Amino acid sequence: MKKTLIKFIPFLIMASFLTTGCTQTGTTPKKLIAQHGTGSGSRSVLLAEVPVYMGNVADVSKKAKVIAIEVGKGEAAKTILVKFDDKTKGIENAVPGHASIINYEMRGGEPWATVVKPKLAKLPSGVTEVKTAELKTMMDKGEKFTLVDSRPAKRFAASNLPGAINIPSDEFEKQANMLPENKDELLVFYCGGPT
Amino acid sequence: MSTSSAGQAKKMGYKNIRVYLDGEPGWDKAGYPTYAAKGFISKGNIVLIDLRSAEKSVAGRIPRAVSIPYATLNEKVASLPQKAPFVLYGDTTDQAMSALKDMHEAGLKKISLVQGNLDGWIKSGGETTSGPVVTTIEWKRQMEKGEVSMADFLNVTNGKATDAVILDVRNKDESAEGKFKNAISIPLDQVGNRMGELPKDKKIYIHCTTGARADMAAKELNNRGYKAFFLVADVKCKANDCTI
Repeated sequence: MKKTLIKFIPFLIMASFLTTGCTQTGTTPKKLIAQHGTGSGSRSVLLAEVPVYMGNVADVSKKAKVIAIEVGKGEAAKTILVKFDDKTKGIENAVPGHASIINYEMRGGEPWATVVKPKLAKLPSGVTEVKTAELKTMMDKGEKFTLVDSRPAKRFAASNLPGAINIPSDEFEKQANMLPENKDELLVFYCGGPT
Repeated sequence: MSTSSAGQAKKMGYKNIRVYLDGEPGWDKAGYPTYAAKGFISKGNIVLIDLRSAEKSVAGRIPRAVSIPYATLNEKVASLPQKAPFVLYGDTTDQAMSALKDMHEAGLKKISLVQGNLDGWIKSGGETTSGPVVTTIEWKRQMEKGEVSMADFLNVTNGKATDAVILDVRNKDESAEGKFKNAISIPLDQVGNRMGELPKDKKIYIHCTTGARADMAAKELNNRGYKAFFLVADVKCKANDCTI
C-alpha cells in the first residue's frame, strides 16, 4: 500500500506544478525523489527526502542573509524566513517576486537554504511560448489575437501591454465570457514574471 | 498565473493558446510602452506628468497633471518622489518613452503612459481641465498593510506610549553604532530563535534602516502570534540618537 502511494507522489507534485503560475504559490513540505526500476513492472524507490519550500520570494536581505518566501495558499499562506550563507547554491535565483524552490536543512532549529532554484513554469501541452520580439511583430502587423493579462486588477490598472484585456487568474471562470466566442482564435496570456 | 489561465482556457476548448512568459516586466525591459488604465489615471495615488509645453498644458490637460515640460525634466528628475508610481503623457509617445527612459535611469521604477497621449485620453472619454498649471508635486505614500505610522512609532521611542515596544532588527555592528535607547536589538537572522525575548501582550514596532528587513521580521513574528508592525523609513543612528 505504502509503495503505491509513494509511486503517485511524484505525479502529484508534477500536477501541483501545472496548476501554479506566476504568483500563485504552492508548498510541498517534503520532496520525494523516486526512480523507476528496470525489469518487469516499474517500481518506485525512495532515494532521499529533501525538505523544500516552494513559493514566491517576498524579499531578500543581503545584510541579514535571509530570504523571505511565501508558502501555502489562502488561510494557510505564510511567510517563512530562510537563512543563507556562502555555501548556499544558486542564491542569485532568489529574486523578489519570482517563484523559487528552496532546498533547506535545519540547523539549530532554523531553516538554512542549501540550494535555491527558480520555479519554472510548465506550459500545458499544446500551449507554446511567445517571446517579446515576436509579440511586438504580431502587434505591429495588426494580427488578430486576444491578449489577456492574468494579473490582479490593481496591477493591470497601473501598467498593462497595448490592447490587453484583464482577466485575473483567480477570477478566470467568472470572467471567461470576455474571451472571443470563436475558440479557434488565438489567445495570448501574460502576467508579471518569467514563471 | 498566465500558465494556469492558459490551462483553463484549453479546458474550455480554445485550440490556439500561447503564453508570453516574460510578461509585463519583460515588455517594459525591452523598452516598449505599457499603459495605465483610465481609473488609475483619474483616481490612483500617482504622479501624473504632462511633458508638453506649459502653454499647451494651460490650454487643456488631464486633471491632476503636473506640468514638467520634457526640456526641463533633467533638472527636475532628482526631486521626484522615489517610491511614487508615475504616469506620463506628452506630444508624442516617442517623447513620453524618452522621458520614461530618463526616469528609469534616475532610479524611478513604476512608470507607465497614457495611451495615445492627450488625444487618446479625450477619445476614451476622459475629462480635461484648463487654466494655470500645477508645478508642485503633492504625493504621499499610502501605508501598506502591517505598517506602523511614524507618529505611533515616535510616541513609543519618546516614551509617551507604553502599549508597544521597539524592535531593532539591524545587524549587531549597525546597532552598535547607535540605537533608540529603549529598543530591543535582535538582528533579523536571529529573530526566529530569540522571539521569546519579546512580549506577546504588547504591540511590536520594528525598524531597520529602510523598512525591508523590518517587514520580513514582522511577517515572521505575526506568523507566531505576535502583534508586529514595521516602519518604512530611512533610519540613521548615532549613540542614543536616531534620525528618521
